[in-house]
Amino acid sequence: MAKTYDYLFKLLLIGDSGVGKTCVLFRFSEDAFNTTFISTIGIDFKIRTIELDGKKIKLQIWDTAGQERFRTITTAYYRGAMGIMLVYDITNEKSFENIKNWIRNIEENASADVEKMLLGNKCELNEKRQVTKERGEQLAIEYGIKFMETSAKASIHVEEAFFTLARDIKTKMEKKLEASNPPKGGHQLKSYEPQRKPPSWLSRCTLL
Amino acid sequence: MDELNDQGVELYSHHGVLVKSQNQIRDDDSHCSGTLSIIEYSGIGKCIEWKPTEVLVDSETNDQEWAMVNAVGRRNRTSSGSNESQSRCRSVRIEVAHLKSFRVTRNRQQVTLMERDGTTHSVFFFQHGNADCFVAALKGNIKTVRSKKDKHLYIVPDEPESQLDRSFAELELFTENTTDVVWKFVRNLHHRPYETTLETFAKLTDIWLFKSSEQRREEEVAELLNRSLTLNETSADAIGEEYAVVDLRNGPLLPPRPPAPRGPPLSIEQWAQFQDEDGHIVEVEILKDIIFRGGVVPNLRYEVWKFLLGYFPWDSTHADRQKLRKQKVEEYFQMKLQWRSITPGQEQRFSDYRERKSLVEKDVNRTDRTLPFFAGENNENLMLLSDILMTYVMYNFDLGYVQGMSDLLSPILCVMTNEVDAFWCFVGFMDKVCSNFELDQAGMKQQLQQLHCLLSVTLPDLSAYLEKHESGNMFFCFRWLLVLFKREFSYQDIMRLWEVLWTDLPCPNFHLLLCVAVLDTQQHILMENNYGFTEILKHINDLSLHIELDSTLSKAEGIYHQLTSAICLPDVARKIIGLDPLGGPDTLEQKEPLQTTDIDNGLKVEEGPESLETLTFSPRTGEVAFERSLNLNYL
Repeated sequence: MAKTYDYLFKLLLIGDSGVGKTCVLFRFSEDAFNTTFISTIGIDFKIRTIELDGKKIKLQIWDTAGQERFRTITTAYYRGAMGIMLVYDITNEKSFENIKNWIRNIEENASADVEKMLLGNKCELNEKRQVTKERGEQLAIEYGIKFMETSAKASIHVEEAFFTLARDIKTKMEKKLEASNPPKGGHQLKSYEPQRKPPSWLSRCTLL
Repeated sequence: MDELNDQGVELYSHHGVLVKSQNQIRDDDSHCSGTLSIIEYSGIGKCIEWKPTEVLVDSETNDQEWAMVNAVGRRNRTSSGSNESQSRCRSVRIEVAHLKSFRVTRNRQQVTLMERDGTTHSVFFFQHGNADCFVAALKGNIKTVRSKKDKHLYIVPDEPESQLDRSFAELELFTENTTDVVWKFVRNLHHRPYETTLETFAKLTDIWLFKSSEQRREEEVAELLNRSLTLNETSADAIGEEYAVVDLRNGPLLPPRPPAPRGPPLSIEQWAQFQDEDGHIVEVEILKDIIFRGGVVPNLRYEVWKFLLGYFPWDSTHADRQKLRKQKVEEYFQMKLQWRSITPGQEQRFSDYRERKSLVEKDVNRTDRTLPFFAGENNENLMLLSDILMTYVMYNFDLGYVQGMSDLLSPILCVMTNEVDAFWCFVGFMDKVCSNFELDQAGMKQQLQQLHCLLSVTLPDLSAYLEKHESGNMFFCFRWLLVLFKREFSYQDIMRLWEVLWTDLPCPNFHLLLCVAVLDTQQHILMENNYGFTEILKHINDLSLHIELDSTLSKAEGIYHQLTSAICLPDVARKIIGLDPLGGPDTLEQKEPLQTTDIDNGLKVEEGPESLETLTFSPRTGEVAFERSLNLNYL
């Protein structure tokens, strides 16, 4: 049977609680917005297959709980991520300030060459804005990553954001592929997961 | 998307198929009726599709979301919640190539489709006739194998090539591309049998003699080989037997699982009989047993929960309770006043408080909003929810507010409707589960460990499978435990489940046995679908709202009886469910009250004498876990 996609990319959505990670994901995967959302507990993912330059790319997008104390659990699922969306809420200064903590978190738990992108969500709420677009851009430049202001509710730039991230990963990956093995046509690639075990405090015995 | 223009060829269709799918919103009792078909597209191949028909049947509630999986076909714009009816009955499309397995249940009227990535798709219910025709049509288009262990389960076997590939890759024998090496061997063997054989043996010898010690153990390799050699049979049986020898010698012997019937809920008449004229509750143990077996009728929850949650003592009189309540009202409003009187200026300089307040605000607005009780803008009950949580912040400032707490409060507030009563009942509930929310997450970690331990004695095969698939940490059960299954059951079911659990019967940590019971039901699906790390999580997440409460409770109790009468159940497992340890001298733990709660256990993860005792514990997986534990403990 023919393979139904050419590439599988694992992406992560991280950021403070309540910035709209689940809504951004729901907008992208279902093209809908729901005012009656519930907070994410633990971790889950959704899938959407997109097409870029004639290649079918299956995006497996992981949505995480934002509150800090759950990071033990959520970071266990960081491994193998190829792209990370850092999300803050433009109406919440604190969520923007915390982006630097999230970056540190990524550095500690995800592979070093993971593609990152900064999203300032809820941009439809301009009257409540606490973080200017310029500050977002500035921070992104500081970290050398791309930036967009999005609105899951009004459906602004959500598609563009994911397509941009996916394209950057694809470009990087194809470059790597070419470097490592000269093209012989029709290469198929799965997500390249570093063979790292999840942090395993569990193996410290259990057992009272 | 291109597929939109591709009309496709219909290979099969069946009308009047109801669909139920889970989303994050809950408590839907409506059904969407539609047509289920198999369609072949030139672009993406064969697909299973379900499309809603115009008329909705059976829809009592109006804003619920049914069926919206993989809605590739209809990416029409919707916005800000106004188009919910549109999103609730979306068409479903599953590419046949993605199909991993399906289960046919409920008198062959219900089909559940599972994808390779672990996604469980909508449950399809065949109103007219049964699913036989659909299953036959499906079988006509793909190869399926009926599971030997779960007669309702049909597996779509992996393509042989890829399976062989994976098996060799798992062996990690060669640094080069494994498949290439193997095929080179096969090709050369044909031309130069003698040389090729010797050369390959030499290569293998190298690998075995000179590879570092962290390489896979021999047994694992043997098993992998075994698996790859018996590609097309279900080799699980053979392997199972081979390992069972070890199991019988060292592991606990579990007797057959006895049936554990459920009962009717506690009625108003019964409840009256348990009170003497002063209002004392008499024969509490018998009462609790009734509640354990069947819960409480909804009208009584308002009264009985106050006792179950320790707000009212069982042995108090009417008069005592009146007095107590007065006191509690005062105490509550005192704490409420504390945060209400914080001025904006103070708040500005009080970041810890600000942080807690903002978390409460965010979560209150997204707690059970689809329920009429919390629905709509400016709903007063949302204010109550928020006030109670804020007052709890003042009651236990160190813990503050943690995500998940609003989930725990919501049903209590819904039952109590009164702010003060709801608060004190919530305090009682939090006393039972607060270790789940602590900063270091020690309570959660310990529960996951305990769950793993109980699983390894009850379902050793599944436990071994999970270990092998990087899921031995049981993280995929995190949501179950954190909010005590709140996200897994409907609102009515969760009230029933919680009142059952609050009886603390039949043993401490019964909720962990409930987890084991759910996993028992899922074990063949997880293993025969050969789900890995990612798919296991997805499958477990997707069980939400598809777990049958009564049969699961009954199964959990059955497992409890199995464990209590097991021969040589390791002490570690015995202690989790409140049994006295069998071996060893008097230990500290024996002096503990039997009803140890999670909180009590919270800080005793690694005590000295316990390590010695665990030496006796050597069922198949336990031994491995223990060895590792030693290394880590004493490093």
